[in-house]
Formats: sequence, structure tokens, C-alpha cells
Amino acid sequence: MIRIEDLTHVYAGGRRQPARTAVSDLTLHIPDGRFTILSGPNGSGKSTLFRILCGLARPSRGRVFIGGHDILRDSAAARALTGVVFQSPAVDKHLSVHENLAIHAALHGLRGAAFRSRLDEAMAWTDLSGRLGDRVETLSGGLSRQVELAKCLLTRPRLLLLDEPTTGLDPASRRGFLNALRSLRQDLGMTVLMTSHIFSEAEDVDSVAIMANGRLLAHDSPQALRERLNGDVLVIDSPEPDTLAAKLKDDLGVTAMRHGDDLRIDEAPDNDAVALLERVLTDYRALVRGITVKRPALEDVFVHVTAEARAEVALAASDQQENAA
Amino acid sequence: MTYAGNASARPSTGAMASDDEGATDVAPRASLMAVAVALARREFTRFIRQPHRVMGSIGQPLIFWVLLGAGLTPSFSAPGMEGMSYLEYFYPGVLMMMILFASVFASITIIEDRDQGFLQGVLVAPVSRLGIVMGKVGGASLVALFQAGILLIAAPFIGLAPGIGGWILLALTLVVVSLGFTGLGFLFAWGMKSTAGFHAMMMVIMMPMWVLSGAFFPIAGVPGWLYWIMILNPVTHGMTILRAPFYDDPLTLLGTGDYLLALAIVVASVALCLALAAHRVGRREAGITVPGS
Repeated sequence: MIRIEDLTHVYAGGRRQPARTAVSDLTLHIPDGRFTILSGPNGSGKSTLFRILCGLARPSRGRVFIGGHDILRDSAAARALTGVVFQSPAVDKHLSVHENLAIHAALHGLRGAAFRSRLDEAMAWTDLSGRLGDRVETLSGGLSRQVELAKCLLTRPRLLLLDEPTTGLDPASRRGFLNALRSLRQDLGMTVLMTSHIFSEAEDVDSVAIMANGRLLAHDSPQALRERLNGDVLVIDSPEPDTLAAKLKDDLGVTAMRHGDDLRIDEAPDNDAVALLERVLTDYRALVRGITVKRPALEDVFVHVTAEARAEVALAASDQQENAA
Repeated sequence: MTYAGNASARPSTGAMASDDEGATDVAPRASLMAVAVALARREFTRFIRQPHRVMGSIGQPLIFWVLLGAGLTPSFSAPGMEGMSYLEYFYPGVLMMMILFASVFASITIIEDRDQGFLQGVLVAPVSRLGIVMGKVGGASLVALFQAGILLIAAPFIGLAPGIGGWILLALTLVVVSLGFTGLGFLFAWGMKSTAGFHAMMMVIMMPMWVLSGAFFPIAGVPGWLYWIMILNPVTHGMTILRAPFYDDPLTLLGTGDYLLALAIVVASVALCLALAAHRVGRREAGITVPGS
């Protein structure tokens, strides 16, 4: 459904800042009918990629196809296949739910009986049926998100793009939104690409793509991604993480990554994190405030995969500071 | 980038076209007109739902007119306009001011809508870029016409009584001029991040265009440098064609060289503004070109 080939996007620099590469040589292929989560730390290029996919930005180099249509040459056809839910609301809050839906339908050439039947469908799965005449500004956050989703689905898109759609929702509304999304996706046979930071949302999707520094670091099923971390993860909360990391490296030959005040060891010797835990407690009790062995969750894979990229950024930042000083 | 949006004749292909590797079928699309009408209707609905905006946009020019008109009438004596009160002279100028303000308001909503709001969804829809511009601009014209219509009720009381043809010509003129102003506002507003920046733009560019259009004081008798600025200002010619129907009937006007010249200048300027606005909307934020790897 989506085919991205060697995509590069460089933002023009200003007088005081150099040009910035937001996406570099990214190739990604998402087959029809998949539910994919696109994740990455802030500034990883997700949003830029998202803007390019919606046709709001024109990339520096590379090609993007949606449903076989080149989004640069045949953008109208690509747009017609795509529904987009933005992070910030794209409905007019001064208008009623019905008016918003009607405008969206009109923009897509959907009128009369066709519009009414789609509207009835939308009312079947949303909780909006009693509130069609109400202005969107009077709805709760969860309901107004439903308006956004209903609006997009009126046109039966083959591809649904969502940019952190659950930001700002409470856990119950978030779950409601995702459940609706999941069942609609199955009913309508849509391909879904959703950017998200929330890994609990990603555990039962078809695939997860992780970006950092404009590059695609991983794209796999959640299961396969979890298997990348063979064995368990050891997390140590230490008052002096750097000292402890150095000792672990010198004495035990174990590489620990610092992540805030925590040290993370993704690959314990012989894949035995429990044995390592015992060893750490015996030898460095004074340097340990808390210690945990856990099964790797997607979030751990994310931290593992992006750690290197994060280090690069930190290095670049400290270089810049030195240059400035 | 832009494309003709009138492919609505295409038959509906059911909702789900199957696809594997080939290009997926595309559903019917809205015509340019349908897009413009849907968006324009939204503008007008929003306007009517905000009573403060309705009150303010009618009240302010009215207050300007009554106060300035009353205050300046004793000292107003322009050459060739003996016997005309300032209240009467200023009246078409106030109509122009209403149009200007309606356009400014409409343009400000563009800034609010574009990156964080309603327009995001419009921009990713398969609609022609000109349709987006026409929707906004058309909506603003409707609003302007509505406001001006209320002020036009006052015309007979100051002795201005055009015939039916004159009223129609006036309405058409108001629409054309308002398309131009909103097109111009659109051009400025599109790239802006904040409404504060637009206010500055309005005070520095749009307000002076109005002041120096003959709306406020006649062009006759101004210093030479000002004369040239006013002649080069398209709004001056807008003022000419807005003032004329109050005094001459449409058929006479359409045979007058000066009127036709002013009309031509106005239509050309409006078309230019709209074309530039559509072009501006069609331009996507682009990454800089980098050599292939």
C-alpha cells in the first residue's frame, strides 16, 4: 500500500542554522491491510515522514507510492485513497458534528443518499448519534476524536494515516478509540499507519517501524522485535551510574547503557540476567539502589534500538556546544 | 500540484476496489464549485454564529461613518464637489472599509486554520487548490455583502438612490472588490505563523491602501507624490467603480471610458491576487534539493 524508496528530506537552513536532514535514505514498504505503528524519539523524522505521506511536504529526493500512485506526480489519486487523522484537531469546533461531516463529504464528492448512508454507518460505531447537532467544542476529548475518525472514514479510505491520535486522551478514551480503530480496520480492510510513542498500543499490531535520526532502524512484527533482545533485561537503579557502568565493563566485560539514572544491560553473559543480578549485588551492593530483571517489552526494544542513535545526537550536541564556546 | 477538480462525472466504483500491485481505483471527486461552495458556506455559518463579530463588523464602520461624517462635514470642501456633505462623500468609502475588514477577518482565520486546525484536513483532501482559495474568498465576499447590505439601507436617507440596475451593479462591485481584498489577505496570511504578524501587515499595507484610495479624502488637490501613489493603488480604482453606481445608471457607466478603465484595472488586480493565492496554496513546503547518493 505504501512504498517509500530512498526518501530524503532536508530542511533548508537559515542564516544562523545549518540545513537539517530530517529523513535520510529511508526505504519502507507496507503491504496492503497491515496495521503498522511508526515510532521514534522526538526529532526522529516521524512527523516529516508523516507530512510527506499526506502530501503536505515535498521531499528532497526519493519516491513515495500510495496504492501504486506516485504522490508527487499523481497526488490527487493518492490523496483520494488516503484518510488522515492529525494530532491537532482538524474539525471546525464552531460547527456541529453533522456540519463537519457534511463538509468533509462535500470535499470528497460524496453527496445526497451516498453521504446519508455513510453517515448512518458512522453513527453505528461511534457514540455520536445523539450529538449530531451539537457543536464540536461542546464534546469531550474522546468524542471529538471520534468525530475526526468518523470524518476520515466517511470516504472509505484504503489507507488511514494517524499522527499520535490518542495524545491527550485519558486511558479509557484511548482504549475506546483504539478498539474502534482495530475493529473498523478489519471490517473495512484498511491499511493503517499510525505514529505513536505509546508502546502498549503497539503490542498487538502487525508491524512496528522504529525511526531515529531520519533513518529506519527496524521494521518488524512486535514478536520478532522482542526476540531481538534474547534473554531478559537487567535494569539497575544506581546513585552513581557512570562509576558502576565503568566497573561492570572493566570487571565483568558487560556493556551497560545509561538511560537516565538507570543502567540497562540488554545482553547478560550466557543470557542469564538472574545470575548477573546476583553477581552485581554481591560485588557492588553500595552502588545499587534498586535492581530488576524483566522480560523485554517493545519499549525495551525501542530503547535498545535507539540508544545508539541517541548517543550520536548527544555527541553532535556536545560538539556543537564546544564549537560555540 | 494543482489539477482540475472537475472529475465528478466519473462513476462511483463501489467503495472497495481490490488491488494488489496495480494502481488502486479512485473514488469520485468533488468539483471545483462543490468545494468552493462547501467551504464558503462554512465561512458564512461561522460568521453568523458569532454575534459579537456580526455586531462589531457592522458597528465599527457605522460609527466611523457617523462620527467622522458629522465631524468633518463643516470643513469639507473638495473642488468639484460643492454641495456634497462629507457624510455623503464618505459613504462609499465606508462600504469599502467594511469589505476590507471582512477580508481581514477571513484572512486571520486562515492562520488559525492552517497548521493546527480545520484546513489541515482540507489540504490533504483531493481537491483543487483554486477551490480552497475560492471557498475562503467566496465566503468572505458573502460576509462582506451581508454587512454592506445592512449599510446600504442607509443610502436613501442621504439622498443616494440608485435604481434597480444600480443596486445590482453595486452588489457585483462589492463582490469583485472583496474577492480581491481577501485574495490579497490570503497571500499574506498563508505563510504566517501568528495572527499578530498579520495585524502588522494589515496596518502597514491594507489599511493605507484603503486610506489612499479616495475613500477618506478626494484625490483632487493632494500633493504630487501622493497623487501618484493613489493612482497606482488598485483600491483607488475600486473606489471609482464603487462610487459611480450611486450617481449614474449602469448603462451610462458602461459607455464611459474612465469607468471601464477603472473596471479593467480592478478586474485584472483581483484576478492576479486570486491566481497568486492559488499558486501559493499549491506550493508544498519543500525540502532542499540534494544530490542523489
